[in-house]
Amino acid sequence: MYRIFFIFLFVGNVLLGQQSIDLQLMGHYNSTGIVRQIPDAFFYGGTIDSAAIDKSYESLKQRNNFGLLMGGYVIWKSPWKLPLAKDKLLAEYQWTFSIGAQQYTGLHFSKDAFGLLFKGGLPYLGDTLQLNPLLLESTSFSKVGIGLSNPSTASSILLNFVQVQNHFAARLNQATWFQDDQTAQISLDLDGTSNLGSPSLGFGLALDIDYRFGTDTEEVDEQEFQLLVQNLGAAYIPSHQSYALNGTMQLSAMPISWWQNKKLDELGQQILDSLGFEKKVQSSWILMPASILLAKRINEEPIKKIQAYYGAQMLLRQSYTPFVYAGAHIKAKQFWQTGVGLAYGGFGGLRAQAYSILKFNNKQLILRSDNITLHNGASLLIQFRCEF
Amino acid sequence: MRLLKLFIIVLLLASCKKEGTQWQTQWLLPLVNDTLSLANYYNDSTLIQNAGQIEVNLTRQVLDLGLADLIKIPDTTISQSFQSNFTVNNVTPGFEFVNATKTHNLDLSDIQLKKVRIQNGQILLKIKNPLNTAVLFKIELPGVSLNNQPFVYTYTLAPGTIQQPTINTETISLAGYEIDLSGAQSLEYNKLQSKLTLQTDPNGPTVSLFNNQIFEFEALFKEIHLDYAKGYFGSQAMIANKQFTLPFMDKIVGGSLALPPMQMSIEISNGFKMALRAQIEQLTNTNAQGVSYSLSAPSIGPSMYLAPAIGTWNTLQPSTMLLTFDGNNSNLQNYVENLGAQQDIHYQIQPNPWGNTSAGNDEAFAHSRLKVKVNAQIPLALNADGLTLQDTFDLNITQDLNKSHVNAAKLIIDATNAFPLASDLVLYFLKNGQVWHTVIADAQLASAALGQIDPTDGLLKKKSTVQISLPQSVFIDLNDLDQVVVSAAFSTTDPNSGLAIDQAIQAGAFLALQMKLQLQTQIKP
Repeated sequence: MYRIFFIFLFVGNVLLGQQSIDLQLMGHYNSTGIVRQIPDAFFYGGTIDSAAIDKSYESLKQRNNFGLLMGGYVIWKSPWKLPLAKDKLLAEYQWTFSIGAQQYTGLHFSKDAFGLLFKGGLPYLGDTLQLNPLLLESTSFSKVGIGLSNPSTASSILLNFVQVQNHFAARLNQATWFQDDQTAQISLDLDGTSNLGSPSLGFGLALDIDYRFGTDTEEVDEQEFQLLVQNLGAAYIPSHQSYALNGTMQLSAMPISWWQNKKLDELGQQILDSLGFEKKVQSSWILMPASILLAKRINEEPIKKIQAYYGAQMLLRQSYTPFVYAGAHIKAKQFWQTGVGLAYGGFGGLRAQAYSILKFNNKQLILRSDNITLHNGASLLIQFRCEF
Repeated sequence: MRLLKLFIIVLLLASCKKEGTQWQTQWLLPLVNDTLSLANYYNDSTLIQNAGQIEVNLTRQVLDLGLADLIKIPDTTISQSFQSNFTVNNVTPGFEFVNATKTHNLDLSDIQLKKVRIQNGQILLKIKNPLNTAVLFKIELPGVSLNNQPFVYTYTLAPGTIQQPTINTETISLAGYEIDLSGAQSLEYNKLQSKLTLQTDPNGPTVSLFNNQIFEFEALFKEIHLDYAKGYFGSQAMIANKQFTLPFMDKIVGGSLALPPMQMSIEISNGFKMALRAQIEQLTNTNAQGVSYSLSAPSIGPSMYLAPAIGTWNTLQPSTMLLTFDGNNSNLQNYVENLGAQQDIHYQIQPNPWGNTSAGNDEAFAHSRLKVKVNAQIPLALNADGLTLQDTFDLNITQDLNKSHVNAAKLIIDATNAFPLASDLVLYFLKNGQVWHTVIADAQLASAALGQIDPTDGLLKKKSTVQISLPQSVFIDLNDLDQVVVSAAFSTTDPNSGLAIDQAIQAGAFLALQMKLQLQTQIKP
């Protein structure tokens, strides 16, 4: 991936003509209730202490989200135009190439499921725990795309060949846990499925569309909007493991004679049988985690020092709620513009966001975070653009 | 400056090193819910209830021999053949050329049988014909009869040759047949007669009989079991040395047990019409510490003689002998209190100790039995002082400390005890036979003597909770540990004096156990 990126950079520098390279790296994780120490322990390692678990547990609602979105891409808008006559519709369009990778993980979970996982069953003796809804979706993929872009509007369309490296989806439709405080008998009622994709075996196609539109006036301070659709497509996974559970299990104390004649592995199999465990290998189509963003674009050459920005984004995943944001953009210096605002949705709740844009001649560097304060996560976006 | 840059790079790289994500969870698992009582032993009369107390009713048949055990007829083959001394030409069809009787001896050692009846068994007959015409075989066993009809077997065997005689085999059941083994004069024993008659085929050709043609029959008496025998049953003594282990007694590794006065009797019953000598040479037990103790009593050692049974099939009356052991004539109580798991008994049983005094008129019927029955009724009361039961179990549990694993555990035992026994529990975790960890319960499983009477069932009961904490060090060494020894020391302690006293087991006594396992787990996804 990195080699290809540097080849792109090299080629971009040696070719003459109107062309550009966009490099974007981003990583977000967020939750509606889990304190940052817990996901940090998963990313960077370390012990999750009981204080962090208790704090998260107290702030959780009955339904909660946690998610991770990270990835990067490079887009090279080449100097090569389509070999068409100038009066033709697409005559001004340039060939555009892209390469990128993305990881999406979304988790929709109940407060009780979090408590059972991170505290164990002992604190909940005598309580009925509602473990559903539980939804986990995780997809990682890479893509290589080719398409066209309009240099005057910056609109573009790319068709990507997608390779899915990993796909995991699990859902618990119904799950209750009850442990009697006197006898310690555990009653578990489960109805769920999961699919675990084999690595490097999914292939598909996806469209990236960047459509810029706005007022037709010739005003300098015109309003421009962007409809950005990414990863709109599907992939085929020819072989993956599928698991299903649908049953009720009672784990109770047994007579001594029962233990004398029982082996632990038999007990495990007996529990799986009680829960109606089924396992099979199958193929399936999956929808890519398509992103649809509708936003007001920032006028980078504004008349006013302050302008508003706003937008909304949706992701084709059940574990992702619509993400909206709005804020104020400030032109501090000719080479430095910045903005602050509020964001809501996605994997988290209300939080502050901020960004800075640094411009040097034909190069532009954007640093952005959607988690400045009020956050249960972290966010960083780095975008570098070079036009030559 | 270069050094500083290098230091910064190393520091940054070190900070990128990811240690495992981990957190702790607490779980409670149900393990055992059981009630241990003596109720299961009431059905087979091991225990009986008497005046609100339990008595051990030890009535056991320790020896039960029948006719099949006393007299065994081995699989025996008798045969009879005919071979002409010279060549006979022109043997006409229907010519009877053999009519011969033969007496056979059964090898029964010193047993001399005159008459028997077969309960089940069979005879396998095999006949051979080397003549080039069919031959009618007629085999008679004059002493073998069913409903007064002698055993006769006839069969026409197809023509054969000297090189390839025609052969026929047949199996016939002998169930219900009587066999007279007293010979032709009725004065002998173990004698069996056979008569072979051979006749050429009346419809066959005229043939020649050569001196190298052998006509033969074989009869194999197989798996013969008798239900009646008469004769002299011999005087060969059965000398036996039997060893058996009493369950759980080998787990007692310490302490003492005192039992109340007890009585035991041994009844010997002879259902055979023959004289009998019985001798208990030695009765010894050995406990887990290797201490042996022998039962001594006037009836241990000397021979005892039993008269023959009297009567016949329907009127048979065994002769019996009763041996009594108690505190006055034996050391029975000390013998039992030695808690010997290994029991050794040496005894002899000899029929006809004075030889053939019945003149061959010993008799045994289908229902004749030689029985030895032990009978003891012992009040189930005991005085236990640190009586320690210990058992060893293999431990084959491994866990990877770099993955999710158990950190510590606690075994929680909620007990309701209606036995007058208190118990101290200790677990020893062993590696290669060496104790690595010793875990002691935090409390004693209390005796019912410390409890109160439950008005619902009138039983004296005591509830107690015992916790056995398995520390983290046990789980760190868990992969190396290979055995766990569970040790329980029982005492019938007086709640007032604290001394071990005699305690009776109340009728309906039980120990209700509810065991749970509390786990502290380190989750490492």
